[in-house]
Amino acid sequence: MKYIIQSDKVGKIGDEFIPDDGINIGALLEGGFISTATETKSSKVKSEPKE
Amino acid sequence: MATSTYLSNLTTLTVNAVSLVDQATNVVFTNTKEQLEATAFGDTSRKYTAGLFNNECTMTLYQSYATSETYATLAALVGTTTNVVASITDGAVTKTFTLTGCYLEALPVINASLGELSTVDITFTGGVYSVA
Repeated sequence: MKYIIQSDKVGKIGDEFIPDDGINIGALLEGGFISTATETKSSKVKSEPKE
Repeated sequence: MATSTYLSNLTTLTVNAVSLVDQATNVVFTNTKEQLEATAFGDTSRKYTAGLFNNECTMTLYQSYATSETYATLAALVGTTTNVVASITDGAVTKTFTLTGCYLEALPVINASLGELSTVDITFTGGVYSVA
């Protein structure tokens, strides 16, 4: 799971948050300090193979 | 003469990776190794030996219910374990004290007195102590 910083109290907003051992991720998510990164899919449509 | 007057010497205070240094007015970080009695018959004085570490960090924070402040940081930590980090800078020396996996038993959610800034006193207990 990848986390993104949402508060400057944790780090630079927009950067990935890499938790140290012992960090309570649930509390950070609940407090809005970080969010889970949503993976964006490529808009490219796979074309059918040419025969 | 050795003195430590705290003005801006506390350079870092994080609870669960969230910086609370701008809300803190007091921090006490205590490294404790429990004292176990080892006195036996025949001894004329009490003797003690070291037991387990039982560390503690207490702090006083201004209460703030605003986004990303005191309440938002601590509310979900009650009854769980987390990390607390405090750094002190004294001249060219910086010491960073860490409690890893310490437990927050209680959080005063309202501490209201007429005409005063609200503060909360919290205590983290246990955890592994380290200094760097």
